[in-house]
Amino acid sequence: MEYFQNSAGTVAVALPFALSIRISDWESLRYTMVRRVDPAFTRDEWAYLVNFLHGDQLARPALLSFGRQGGDPQQLVSLFRPRPTIALWLPNNVSLLGPLTLILCSLTGAQIHVKSGSRATDLCQAFVTYARRQLPSKSDLQHYLSDQVTVANFDRFDPRNRTMAAEADVRIAFGSDASITEIHALPHRPDSIALPFGDHQSEVWVELAAMDDAAVDALISVFAIYGQTGCTSPRRVVVIDGTHDDCLRLRDALAARWPSVQREQTPMHVASQNVLHHQLALADGWQSITVDQNAAVLAAGSLEQDPLRGAMSLAIVSATPEAAVASLPANIQTVGHHLRDPSAAHWIALLAQTDIKRWVPLRRMHHFGPIWDGGNFWRQLFDEVQIAT
Amino acid sequence: MNALTQWHIDGCPGYRAIWPDWKNSTRVEDLPFLHVGVFKKRLWQTAGAGVRHQRVLKSSATSNAGNSRISLDERSSTLQAASSSSILRDALGGELRPLIVLDHAKSLLQRGETSARIAAALSLRPLASALHFVMAEDPAGPRLLWDQIAAVCAQHDHVRVYGFTWLLWQTWATAEIPDTVRQVLARTRIQFVHSGGWKKLEAQAVDRAAFDRRLIATGAPNSQVLDFYGLVEQVGVIFPLCPAGHRHIPRWALALTRDPWTLDCVREKPGMLQLMNTLSFGAPYHNVLTEDIGVLHSTPCPCGRAGPHFDLHGRIPKAEVRGCANV
Repeated sequence: MEYFQNSAGTVAVALPFALSIRISDWESLRYTMVRRVDPAFTRDEWAYLVNFLHGDQLARPALLSFGRQGGDPQQLVSLFRPRPTIALWLPNNVSLLGPLTLILCSLTGAQIHVKSGSRATDLCQAFVTYARRQLPSKSDLQHYLSDQVTVANFDRFDPRNRTMAAEADVRIAFGSDASITEIHALPHRPDSIALPFGDHQSEVWVELAAMDDAAVDALISVFAIYGQTGCTSPRRVVVIDGTHDDCLRLRDALAARWPSVQREQTPMHVASQNVLHHQLALADGWQSITVDQNAAVLAAGSLEQDPLRGAMSLAIVSATPEAAVASLPANIQTVGHHLRDPSAAHWIALLAQTDIKRWVPLRRMHHFGPIWDGGNFWRQLFDEVQIAT
Repeated sequence: MNALTQWHIDGCPGYRAIWPDWKNSTRVEDLPFLHVGVFKKRLWQTAGAGVRHQRVLKSSATSNAGNSRISLDERSSTLQAASSSSILRDALGGELRPLIVLDHAKSLLQRGETSARIAAALSLRPLASALHFVMAEDPAGPRLLWDQIAAVCAQHDHVRVYGFTWLLWQTWATAEIPDTVRQVLARTRIQFVHSGGWKKLEAQAVDRAAFDRRLIATGAPNSQVLDFYGLVEQVGVIFPLCPAGHRHIPRWALALTRDPWTLDCVREKPGMLQLMNTLSFGAPYHNVLTEDIGVLHSTPCPCGRAGPHFDLHGRIPKAEVRGCANV
């Protein structure tokens, strides 16, 4: 039993393992990971995983959900029991969401069944295989990953989907809205819970006065890793209260700094597709350029123009805060901000009128944690028992 | 090319928007081009005196990006037919022969649209004494009408056969040909002509030598196989493989190869192939940057043909897109 202290009193969590040992096991894996990148991952992805496995990062779910470790068992207000079985459906294109979700779920001790995308390299399986091989054979985590975690690759028609849904206490599904609906329509226990993570889009809001080289570099970094294919990647940058010339200035600043931020060679087909989408953007009236190595398309335009479709195309538009809100996509998830005062009351009041799920500094757009899509999903992996004495 | 480019700049607003500042080029590499993928995204047309758009040519969609749709006009079609006829005559000889087409006859009947497969077959029509469509309509998959093929071959000692590369392999080279048909074929000299890429055959580890050997073995001595490369975006300008294994550029066309990252022109090393011709008036397909990799040579070809030629190395390598939204 682990105890946590928060403002309501003490919370007991019936973890079937010692949280500190599980976290230190994950941390120990970091030291192996820094020596060599597993070939299934890009360098950026591997670096992200290494950072994610930092002890402080792994302690955050419990801290945010239950409070600081410790507390007086005599003042117990709640008991949390981990839900025993989690079924996790991952999207079809390769994504770090698999390993990241798995790592967070491992902090509950639940049995986890992962269905990875049937048409993609399976990063979740790759990571689990790596961890099983590299962790000491007698470690608690190695046993857990070997005995309690399964990762399988099959398609949407496979009967194992039904089995996963029927047996799980928690059904976590990443994917398109249609595929999530399909998954949650599978027969399941009435007391099981569903955590849907549907198709989302993200964008960046900046004030030009707040933009310095570091912010430009951060914007390049968050966009370049996944382009438009990441649900937390910006598809457009809104220059708040800016002019069209401001958009052009930001576009050119991004292009100028691009080679110093993104040094890896652009895959040939990506460079080619960027030539294509640059031409389409120009034909549609965007003021488009490509950056060094044709690594991306940067296009200045207006809110009214058709969105850019290229995977590595970033639109830059100007708008008032109200117009930016009015033009948000229906499936908005993250807005990465670089504003002079993003916590100012007028921003929070404006946010309250939207469906924005995450309002985070630009550089934290891709950060995955226990709170996602507007809910503390990690806490929902537990049953709560109210204690009153 | 300058005049043709100006024609499209004047008549095609989308093209003009991409190259707004273009003025006459003194070097071919400075002529404005379109990436081949733009034809999958929208239908391009150039308006101008005497241009009558007739029909739309549709590519077979081999990628997720969809079909290319090419608007064909009367003037360009006439020129392109003359072009392909001339190029094929050089490779196959000028005699008229029966042409057996591995396709359905009904493929000809779609109003206003033509598939790339049928367009490629019809590029051989000027060299055909008669056309014979020999594909059965079988929902189980492509299957040839061997009785019809045998009937044609029984009446002629020399025929031509056209099919997409993978179709020719699947339905002819590796088919169980009835013995009676096999005997007829063995008395017929066959010129097999194919196009459409090797992607499907690479997956089955079929190389060109094996492909040719299997086909030639079904015909009489002196049967031959001719592979030609062309873009659905540039019908009429086709590039047959010469006996020395290269692809020659006709006088009314040009080819460049470009570095994929800088778009600088390169020679004697692999680059993205850019193809130009002077036969496209209905839309700016006269100058297309392909996603095929080629090596351009200016040294003399052992086959004896003059002028530049290139080797084709296939499509640019693609990797899956990583992310989480595109599911």
